[in-house]
Amino acid sequence: MEVKTFQGGAHIPHYKSYTEDKAITRMAAPEEVVIPLSQHLGAPNQPLVKAGDKVEVGQKIGDTEEFIAAPVHASISGTVTAIEPRPAYTGGEIMSVIIKSDGGPQEFVPKEKRDPEQMTVEEIRQAIREAGIIGMGGAAFPTHANISTRKPVDSLILNGAECEPFLTCDHRQMLERAQELVEGAKILMRSIGAKKCYIGIEVNKPDAIEALTEKTKGLEGFEVVPLAVKYPQGFKSHLIKAVTGRDVPRGARSADLGCIVRNVGTTISCYEAVVYGKPSIERVVTVSGPTVPKCGNYVIKVGTSVGHILKECGVEDLKGHKVILGGPMTGMAQANLVTGIVKSTTGVLVLPPSMVREEVSYSDCVRCGKCVDHCPMMLYPNQLSIYAEAEMYGALMEWNVTDCIECGICSYVCPSQRPIVHLIRMVKPTVKKMQRSRK
Amino acid sequence: MDNQKLVYTPAPHLKSDLTVSQAMRDVIIALIPACLVAIYFFKFYAVFMIAVCMVTAAVTELIFRMAMGKKPSLGDYSALLTGLLVALCLSATTAWWMGAIATFIAVGIAKELMGGLGWNRFNPALFGRVALIILAPWIVALGADFLPWSINFGPIDVVTRATPLAMLQQGMEMPGLANLFFAFPGGAMSEVSPFALLIGAAYLFYRGHINWRIPVSILATVFVLALIAGKNPFYHLFTGGLFLGAFFMATDWVTSPITNKGKWIFGIAIGVLIIIFRVGLAPTEGVAFSILIMNAFVPMIDRATKRPSFSEPKPKRAVAVPGQEQATAKG
Repeated sequence: MEVKTFQGGAHIPHYKSYTEDKAITRMAAPEEVVIPLSQHLGAPNQPLVKAGDKVEVGQKIGDTEEFIAAPVHASISGTVTAIEPRPAYTGGEIMSVIIKSDGGPQEFVPKEKRDPEQMTVEEIRQAIREAGIIGMGGAAFPTHANISTRKPVDSLILNGAECEPFLTCDHRQMLERAQELVEGAKILMRSIGAKKCYIGIEVNKPDAIEALTEKTKGLEGFEVVPLAVKYPQGFKSHLIKAVTGRDVPRGARSADLGCIVRNVGTTISCYEAVVYGKPSIERVVTVSGPTVPKCGNYVIKVGTSVGHILKECGVEDLKGHKVILGGPMTGMAQANLVTGIVKSTTGVLVLPPSMVREEVSYSDCVRCGKCVDHCPMMLYPNQLSIYAEAEMYGALMEWNVTDCIECGICSYVCPSQRPIVHLIRMVKPTVKKMQRSRK
Repeated sequence: MDNQKLVYTPAPHLKSDLTVSQAMRDVIIALIPACLVAIYFFKFYAVFMIAVCMVTAAVTELIFRMAMGKKPSLGDYSALLTGLLVALCLSATTAWWMGAIATFIAVGIAKELMGGLGWNRFNPALFGRVALIILAPWIVALGADFLPWSINFGPIDVVTRATPLAMLQQGMEMPGLANLFFAFPGGAMSEVSPFALLIGAAYLFYRGHINWRIPVSILATVFVLALIAGKNPFYHLFTGGLFLGAFFMATDWVTSPITNKGKWIFGIAIGVLIIIFRVGLAPTEGVAFSILIMNAFVPMIDRATKRPSFSEPKPKRAVAVPGQEQATAKG
């Protein structure tokens, strides 16, 4: 089997055995959901409801006129109790709609079944926009904006790499929803005019590779691409490089490169949006960790609090643990359990004290070169971390700090325990601002 | 589950097991075979010299760090390793106070005064060793003062032999190659057995602490140039501190180039310098001087071998049609 990959990167223990064999099941809807009004990259939404309103499952509750935006919908039916700032999973607060359940069945019931073949490209794009579909692998970019390209795009790349440790939600979806995935891919290919569809999957998911090879047999233009198991294989630029061999220069958008990358979960959601008109109100989330009694891949309503999810999974004691939304390399640790999952949340992870990275005082760089060896962006994280500590913005610019994709490998490998990626993250906004003012 | 104390720190939330102290400890472990060989031949002289240097290293680091208001860092084993390396660079019967001075200079001046581990530009152990040579006149004068404190563990028959490298230079009859490779007492403690050092080096490769490019480029360059110069290349490989230098000194993280290309340049240049020293200049210490000289060039090598970012736009290729580009990429 020919296996493709990129230069750099690292092998990180992947801890996927906790959930990789667990079939997707539906988690009971909570009594209350807290839905952030804006969950995408782009312009913020305005609320379409007010406190006291009754809402139905799938009803649009927030939208904007702006193009780069995605509406949000009620994930359960019930009463809007408040629209107010609530803690965001990224830290800080975000305007959110709080809905109290009416206790009824919280399933989304499609009103019609449409045939995508009969729809125009414009109708497809509109259906995806109305459903509020955004990049569900974590990118959170509105999908309709991504596929509304005027430039010719020859290839669609489905991202099934799932390179972050612990996460298996994409893996399970590829296995259990292969048909919807392929149908979704056809819809996306039509809407961008692509002739080719690559499905990139790391070889630690042989069953998914097999299932999709089987499903796409005889379909013109489809190709399953086995990828080396290496972090960060699933980052967009590295997936494009590995699959097509094309370079991804800074500032270039996927469409400029002639290919568009979509997460497999997003692709399935696009299928549901176009065929059934189903909005993005729930998603498959991996709940995992060595001490979680009921690990699994669950369909969970957007806005469900971490506390509710962990209770459903039998977690009781959390003293000294770390709770993460997303993957362990790029996800966000949570200060409390009131934050909820959003459309782009891939996982809810619980790390026991034995796995929690100690808050040790870090020491000076010893120039071992590990971060340089492994940096997938071919940067010099060692230098960047020193310049960041000293706030040497000129040097940071010269050493291309803004190219950093914050994958976290440098911090992972550093023997001096330096929080390299964190130091970089702290100075990037200032550097970007300086670069803009120079132009 | 409310109000439980959660750990709240930035990503990434996973960490590899590798730490600086672990790596330093591994290098010390890798030197054990060489130490055992030295102890076998030089008995108490070897034990005593190693002990003096390691204790001096620890005390020096402690004093310097306290004087500079820094936290003690003995836990990273780097001072102990420097002490051990200084000891191995000396012959077992060197006066103990000379070992102590060399170690003091290595740890105190070459490392701590330079800013501590990570900021030193020169390999501390080699700096200490070479300082002894440069300070020779002063040290001869000191010798008389230290005479009352000299320590003698009784005679051992091997210590009077000359360094094989010096024998080679003077055209004396050489011991067999196998003898030189496995164990030939003479010269510094680390010169006795290249084989023992190779075992340690294999362990370091296995643990992923050293990059093969530096030792391979040094050894290959020395081999080829010795051949060109009409010398027996194996004698040049197995004598002097070449193995210790190539595997344990030149591969020092702090004082070697970061990129692989830089490591090749560094290693080849060291090899060339070693041959120049050995063939054209002083008979011994060529390895130490060569590595120290190249240490000084590391920032320059790093700058010259800086790689472009993954995102750096490449010059446009002649064929920019996506379909065709793909075909070449796959072909």
